[in-house]
Amino acid sequence: MTTRAEASVWEREELLTGCQAVAHGVRLADVDVIAAYPIRPYTEVMDAISKIIADGELDAEYIVAASEHDQFEIVKHASSVGARAFAGSSGTGWMYGFEALVVTATDRLPVLFLVGNRALDDPGAFGVEHNDALAVRDMGWLLCWVTTPQEALEHVLIGYRVAEDKRVMMPMALAMDGAFLTHSQHVVRIPTKEAVRRFLPPYDLGERRLHPDNPISIAPQVNEDWVMEIRRQNWEAARRARQVIVEAYREFNAIFGDVYSPPYYFEEFMTEDAEVVLIGLGTVARPGRTAVRRLREKGQKVGYINLRWFRPFPTVELRESLRRFRAVGVIDRDFAHGSPDDGGALLHEVRSCLYPARERPVVVNFISGLGGRDISIADCIKMFEITQEAARKDSLDGFVTWVGLRE
Amino acid sequence: MIKRVEINYRGIFQKNLAKKIGGDIVLIATRMGQVGFSNGRYSDSPERNGIPCKYFAFVSPDLSEEELEAECGAKLDIDEANISVVLDDTMVKGVEPWAWHGIRPINEKVTEGGCLLVVSRRSHGELLKFIAKKPYNYNLAILEGDASFAGLWVYKDDLTRERVLGAIAAVDPELISIEAVEQYLWDTTQQEHRVLAAREAYEQVRQRIKTVTPDQGIEWSYQVPTLPKWYEFSEGVVVPAVKREFRLGPGGQARNTQLKRFTSRTQRPVIRFDLCIKCTLCWYDCPDECFDPTEDGYYDVNYEYCVGCGRCAQVCPVKECIVMVDELRFEDNSSPYEFWKRDPEGYIRWAEEKKGTERVVYPFVTGTGVQVLEGERVPEGKKIMLKKKEALPS
Repeated sequence: MTTRAEASVWEREELLTGCQAVAHGVRLADVDVIAAYPIRPYTEVMDAISKIIADGELDAEYIVAASEHDQFEIVKHASSVGARAFAGSSGTGWMYGFEALVVTATDRLPVLFLVGNRALDDPGAFGVEHNDALAVRDMGWLLCWVTTPQEALEHVLIGYRVAEDKRVMMPMALAMDGAFLTHSQHVVRIPTKEAVRRFLPPYDLGERRLHPDNPISIAPQVNEDWVMEIRRQNWEAARRARQVIVEAYREFNAIFGDVYSPPYYFEEFMTEDAEVVLIGLGTVARPGRTAVRRLREKGQKVGYINLRWFRPFPTVELRESLRRFRAVGVIDRDFAHGSPDDGGALLHEVRSCLYPARERPVVVNFISGLGGRDISIADCIKMFEITQEAARKDSLDGFVTWVGLRE
Repeated sequence: MIKRVEINYRGIFQKNLAKKIGGDIVLIATRMGQVGFSNGRYSDSPERNGIPCKYFAFVSPDLSEEELEAECGAKLDIDEANISVVLDDTMVKGVEPWAWHGIRPINEKVTEGGCLLVVSRRSHGELLKFIAKKPYNYNLAILEGDASFAGLWVYKDDLTRERVLGAIAAVDPELISIEAVEQYLWDTTQQEHRVLAAREAYEQVRQRIKTVTPDQGIEWSYQVPTLPKWYEFSEGVVVPAVKREFRLGPGGQARNTQLKRFTSRTQRPVIRFDLCIKCTLCWYDCPDECFDPTEDGYYDVNYEYCVGCGRCAQVCPVKECIVMVDELRFEDNSSPYEFWKRDPEGYIRWAEEKKGTERVVYPFVTGTGVQVLEGERVPEGKKIMLKKKEALPS
């Protein structure tokens, strides 16, 4: 899949969980201010960062906040005075800080947040479900999923590079599946500080930096006379982000080897001659792609698309890709209660993106893996079978299937 | 091919130990040209003292990391284990984690021809008195040693980690060879005593692997809970609570029959009712409300619910009245009070025989292994009051 540059850009290999890999990303990005407040599965990120600081490997302000709301306010303010800032959370903790998350986007402060995906309580459950991170989808955020600890580390760097670009200046949520990624230990290649410095320039707010020598006022009260124009500006930044993301991956590849391939926003697997594909977010890619290999051995033309970037949504690229297939099965590790056809959030995005295409594939939806329920290879094979059946029938009846439910 | 290793450990006391062993297996296997990864059972809640939990390591010589992960890493529990490591031998009585698993046999996941590797000072025969029968042959290996217990977030560096790695190399040299273990320990620490500890365990365990046949072991009496379908339980996340009930005597208090928790126990309190002064402290202080008041003013302990925290033994003001004793010395959870009432002399004989003279203390934070103190056999009815300072271990 990837070729990594052998030369001196890699410093060493370590066995790291997804959480620890993010902490190393924070170290390499030389973050200035970290605000922390524990909630599983994110907690291990703050633990790992505090250890890195205690070991003298990172010089940063590390503030344990009184709540997630404080935590997110702290990093927002730190970012406004020119500090590169990091925070993270999970599930209901993330939701508790929501007011602060909304204004961070409006104030266009490029803080990076790690969201260790967790089901929203009640019931108290700490398994993965994507509804927590998805909550920022309409708020002016960058939102991206990773599938391995290696990608997690690298996307802290890519995330800051995109978020802090002058053309963008948006907060970034880096989402990672609880348990299957946050708590799984893998051998991870750690890049050198020098190589990271070449990739990630220092954080520079320019004229917007809050400082006594630069008297400005951020986000004063406005009413109907300003809000639409502010939203339009934010939208423009999100539009520009599409190009900046591509540039960031190209630059990453130039320094670290041919790691990521176009169109970068998503990753296609065995789709060249595929008739039917599944698309999903996060670690479901592993059983998904393994199911593809199994079915390919039986001569079936199937493929898998791992969607990384949810915001900005790669509308044009994904439309161009998906219209090639006869049927698309959308895997949602979330549920959009009461939404059209009672499907998941990703279903609606994919279907909406396909609507303008003159020739569209049949789209079916799978609700699966909620609250940390595992999604096995067999589950993915079942999803392929249902999608293939839909392609044959060209029908949309009962097209949302819950997979892995006790029924 | 996939090699699956599960490490059964006791919540919090052995969490760091288990995680380090899981990581070591991956790193050593990687040095041998294999791929691997390691994770814990996410549904566990290992912050609870003594609760049985699992850590896993998955290794393959021929699959890609992604395929290995798809097979093993997308699962919340292990399907089967080529090696099940048991870091505390009292877990052979069964393991009941925090989630809805029920009380499972310790060898539940061991494959045909696989191995149950137990850290213990007991013999194969003694351990098999508690272990469930399997329909096929598997191996039971014993690494001689005490359970290594450390406190919250603390890792106790007492060479258990190195010894377990050596033992795993003895059980399956293709997973990790002893040479690779030794080289890894030397490269990462430059300390020869760690290398030697692994080698010593390797040599020892190679002599202590025995085949267990389908006729060896016990019939397992605990059921795996059946979880309801989505339309079969109350809406609004409402769960019926235990109905309040109380009457004097053994088992007189209503308790949750779904979660008995005794598999969290390493030691159990043995009570000399003849020495009891009816002070109520055991009943009052028990964090799990395991003591049932009796009509004649004593306090029976319900061993189905006792997690063996030792609080009752700490607060009891009478010498040798409540003593914590190794769980593997006991066959069942029946009421000690009923036994005493039925046969007072027989009960005292039994209690003293179980207690023996050694009093075992686990130094959770510092020190190595266990601390063994001398106990005393107190004559029937001779109530010797302890000064509070003596009653509480320093």
